[in-house]
Amino acid sequence: MSGVRAAAAIALRDLMGVARARSQLYSSVLTPLLFLVFLGNGVSHGLEPAALPAGNFTAYLVAGTVVMTSVFSSTFSSASYYRDRDSGFLRLLLSSPHSPRTVMLGKSLAAMTIGALQAALVLAVAAPFVDFGWQYGIGGGIALALLTVVLLNLMLTGLAQALATRVHSMQGFHLVMNLALFPLLFFSGAFFPVDGLPAWMKVLAYVNPLTYAVDGLQLATYATGSGGFIGYGIDFAVLGVLGAAVYGLGLSRVPKLTYSGQ
Amino acid sequence: MSSAIAAREIRRSYGDRAALDGFTLEVPAGSIFGVLGPNGSGKSTFLALVAGAERPPSGTLTILGEAPHPRLRARIGTVFQENASDPLMSPREYLLFAATLFGVDGGTARRRADELLERFGLAGRANDPISTLSGGTRRRLEAARALLHRPELLLLDEPTTGVDPEERRLLWETVRAERGGATVLLATNDLHEADAVCDLVAFVQAGRVVAAGAPAELKRDLRRQAVRVELNAPDPGTVERIAAEAGLDRVTVLDGEVLVMTDDATALVPRLFAAAGNAIRGLRIEEASLEDAYFQYIQRRAEAVR
Repeated sequence: MSGVRAAAAIALRDLMGVARARSQLYSSVLTPLLFLVFLGNGVSHGLEPAALPAGNFTAYLVAGTVVMTSVFSSTFSSASYYRDRDSGFLRLLLSSPHSPRTVMLGKSLAAMTIGALQAALVLAVAAPFVDFGWQYGIGGGIALALLTVVLLNLMLTGLAQALATRVHSMQGFHLVMNLALFPLLFFSGAFFPVDGLPAWMKVLAYVNPLTYAVDGLQLATYATGSGGFIGYGIDFAVLGVLGAAVYGLGLSRVPKLTYSGQ
Repeated sequence: MSSAIAAREIRRSYGDRAALDGFTLEVPAGSIFGVLGPNGSGKSTFLALVAGAERPPSGTLTILGEAPHPRLRARIGTVFQENASDPLMSPREYLLFAATLFGVDGGTARRRADELLERFGLAGRANDPISTLSGGTRRRLEAARALLHRPELLLLDEPTTGVDPEERRLLWETVRAERGGATVLLATNDLHEADAVCDLVAFVQAGRVVAAGAPAELKRDLRRQAVRVELNAPDPGTVERIAAEAGLDRVTVLDGEVLVMTDDATALVPRLFAAAGNAIRGLRIEEASLEDAYFQYIQRRAEAVR
C-alpha cells in the first residue's frame, strides 16, 4: 500500500511540474492545433483531396494530430527522468524504501496521464470545428477515442522509459525517439490514407503500431462506416498487447543509487 | 557499544577503477563518525552503498544490525553531496513529498515539516520556490529533509560545502539537537569541521581506511607540534636541501608552506634557521591539528606502499 502511495506521490509531483511549466503546457497543445489549422486548411483548399471519404482533409488529419501529440508528449514527459537525474532528485527517490520499479512506475504514470490528457485536449478543441461522423454517437466516440489514446500512451511511455534508462544523454534520447517515431508517424495513416499506398509502404504501415491508433481514432470520430478501416478488434488487440509488453520493457531496467547518483 | 555500521573488506569497482579496495570500518551506534579523505578516496561510494542499503559486491556490510535490504532505507536519512531537491517545489512541498516517500502519515508529516522548517530557519521561505533559495539555505533544507522521518542513521556527505560559517554553525547546532539518538556518519574533506563535531574519525585513502579513532587519540599518536615554514621560494630543491641540512626525515609541502611535525619545536627552529638562513620568510608553531595528523597518516601509508 505504501508503494502505491509513493508511486501516486511521484506521479502527482511530475504532473504538478508540468502544470507549473506553463510554456510547455501551452505549446504542447497549441503546436498540434496550429498544425491542424494550417496543414489541414492548406491541403483541403490547395489540393482538393477528393479521394477522402468526407472530402475534408482537416477532419481526416485530427486523428493523426492526436497521435502526433501523444508521440511528442510522451517523449517530453519521459525526459523528466534526465532532469531528475541531473538535478539530483532521482537520488532522493532511489534512497527511499521503495523499489526503483515503484519510482519508475510513478514517473511513467505521470507521463502516460500527461500524454493522454494533452491528446484528449487537442481532440476536444478540434472537434467542434470539423465535420466528424461520430458513428458511435458523441459519447461512444469519445470513450473509444480515449481508450485508444490511453493504450497508445501506455506503449509510447513504455518505449520512452525503456530508452531513457539505456541512453545516457538527453540529446541522445531525443535523437533516438525522433528517429524511431517520425518514420512511424508517416506510415501510420496520420497524414494520408494507407489504402492508396504502394504495396511496400502498405506492409510498413501494417507492421507499424501507430497505424492501429490512427485507425481507432478515425473510427471513433471521422469515419461514417467501417469500410477501409482495420477495425477495433485488431486495433485494441495490437495496442493492448504491444502496450503491455513495451510498458513491461520500460520497467525492466531500473536505475541504481551510485556515488554519482546516476 | 553496538555497531550502527560494520563493514568488512568491501570491494567495489567502476570499470578498472577500484573505488573501495578492502574498506573496513566499524561505526558505534549513537556516535558522530567522520570519514575523511581527499576527493575520489571512496568516502562517497561507501556512503552511497549504505544509503542504498545495498549488498556489496564483495565483503560484508551490516547496517543497524541487519544485512543490507531496501526496507532498511526507511531507517536511514541521507544528505547527498549535491542537493536532491526539485527546484520547482517549495521547501514545505519538498518535505511533505519526502514524508510520503518515507511513510510518515499526513498529520505527523505536516507537524514535523513545520517544526523542522522553524528549527532550520526556513519558515520564512517555506512557500517560495526552492530555485530562489541560496546554496546554504538549500543545504539546511536537505538536512531537514533527511531528519524528517526521525532516522536511526543519518548520512551526511559533505553537508556544509559552500555554506558560510554562520549557516554552518546553525546547521550543525540543529542537526545535533534534532538527531535524537541517531548515529551520524559524516563524509568530509574539511578536517577542521570533523575535529569540531566528530566523536570518532577514520582517514580514508584509495578506497581503504588507513587509521581510525577519536580525533584526540589520532593526534596523540603523532608528534605534538606543527612548525609551518613559509619560504621565499618553496621549490622542491630548496625544501630537500633544508630538510637534509636540518636533519629532518619527513617534511610536507602544503599550500606553499613546508610543514614539519615535531615533539620539540624550540629545538627544531634554530636548526631550521641554521639550514635555511634568509630563505625563510615566516614561521609559526601550532599545536598539531587533525589536519596535521591526517597528512602524517596519509604520508606514512604512501611510504608503506612504496
